[in-house]
Amino acid sequence: MLKKKRLFSMMLPLLTASIILAACGSDSSTTSTTSSTVSTSNSGEVKKLVAGSESSFAPFNYMDDQGNVVGIDVDVLNAMGEEVGFETEVRAVGWEPIFPQVKNGEIDLGASGITITDERKETFDFTEPYYEATQVLVVKEDSPITSAEDVKDKKISVQINSTGHMAAKDLVGETNPNILGYESVPIAIQEVLNGTTDAAIGDNAVVFEYIKNNPEAKLKTIDDDSFEKEYYGFMVKKGNEELLNLLNEGLLKIKENGKLAEITGQELE
Amino acid sequence: MDLLDLRWDIIWNYREMFLRGIWITIVLTVSGYAGGIILGVLIGLGETSKKRWLYWPSKLYVDLFRGTPMLVQILIIHLAVIPTIFGQSYGFMVSGILALLLNSAAYNAEIIRAGIQSIDKGQMEAARSLGLTHSKAMRKIILPQAFRRMIPPLGNEFIALLKDSSLVTVIAASDILYAAKIVAGAYNRFWEPYLVAAVLYLILTYLVTKLVAYVERRFSNGYNPRRKREGRSLT
Repeated sequence: MLKKKRLFSMMLPLLTASIILAACGSDSSTTSTTSSTVSTSNSGEVKKLVAGSESSFAPFNYMDDQGNVVGIDVDVLNAMGEEVGFETEVRAVGWEPIFPQVKNGEIDLGASGITITDERKETFDFTEPYYEATQVLVVKEDSPITSAEDVKDKKISVQINSTGHMAAKDLVGETNPNILGYESVPIAIQEVLNGTTDAAIGDNAVVFEYIKNNPEAKLKTIDDDSFEKEYYGFMVKKGNEELLNLLNEGLLKIKENGKLAEITGQELE
Repeated sequence: MDLLDLRWDIIWNYREMFLRGIWITIVLTVSGYAGGIILGVLIGLGETSKKRWLYWPSKLYVDLFRGTPMLVQILIIHLAVIPTIFGQSYGFMVSGILALLLNSAAYNAEIIRAGIQSIDKGQMEAARSLGLTHSKAMRKIILPQAFRRMIPPLGNEFIALLKDSSLVTVIAASDILYAAKIVAGAYNRFWEPYLVAAVLYLILTYLVTKLVAYVERRFSNGYNPRRKREGRSLT
């Protein structure tokens, strides 16, 4: 009797694990069948594109409580797709993997608030811009910092290898140890609150989203004219003219009919 | 990517970051390990204790820190524990060392407990029958023998900690991996920076392996301090 009981207690974790796994397995199989029926019902002309994103980049893309990637990027892509006939599946692949995965053709495009830069243009092609962004400084309410000039000898937190990181490098030098690169902008802002760093640099939309979600955080933002204007575009593999034209066509259409402005809340000429 | 088309100049441009990375990695690992040994001895002895109020907290500690990923521990300590307790954080160095220290203490405690318990019960009985007190028998008979058995696993733990210290990259500690990530992001090239990081970690772990081998030989049965050179060839 005792032996049986012991055996059972040893098996219990295994059993639970296998039940959970089985549940997951059936779950994913049902979703995959539904998605495949959708694509077959509109067979032929509807093209399915796979986009990669870093999904802790609210409001551009983030995960809802169902595990779907949602946000401005997704809305823009869907609106474009409605106009020129394609479907998009936005996958959360993480920020850095987007670049090699687009390059290797594992995903069709990168859609993650990616800024169009000259360096990135060397390896990738970009659509026309769909959003204008600037970098802003985030400091504590009682901070003496008033401009980008003031942070030259201070500690700065950024999202690693983002354009905010590049702006910080321009300010204080390529290999300056005062720049601290974190996985996401919210963590970089949190580090200002924690006192690890004196200021954070991030894209306006993301910073404002953070402040909107944390109204009691004692933070203020500083606009500085020395930060260059940036434009977000969808990123495709270099030389993929067909896809680039398709996306640009869709983008032009939603610019003309005002849907883009509706989604982003911003007029872009 | 063409394997022959490697651009080592991009590493050279960032040599300053890599050198700082090596230094940070060493400081983090050595401090974390040293603290981890001290705390590990206390917890390991607690685990062998018959007193319940010593045994259970030690056991709970080991289960907690061995049962959760180090990456999660680093994030909790840096972003939650320290700011909550002190009202501010003290940078990645303090959080990083604390996280590595607490984690390695749990593993070291288990090594120390297993080492002590691996010594035959008869040793303690014989020592006690010769009139030694329990603590004296522990110090003079059990621990010296147990220590020899602990050397290889303790060396293992050092190497594991050295490699796991790369996880502090996530709280922006400018260690070796961080330097590699920065280079990879700046040039969108992945072979060179990560290969260099791997080689640097390999060199560091190799040096530790040599050190552990030396300590092991130094404490072996066959070691004779008077015949340093010849003694080695016998083993």
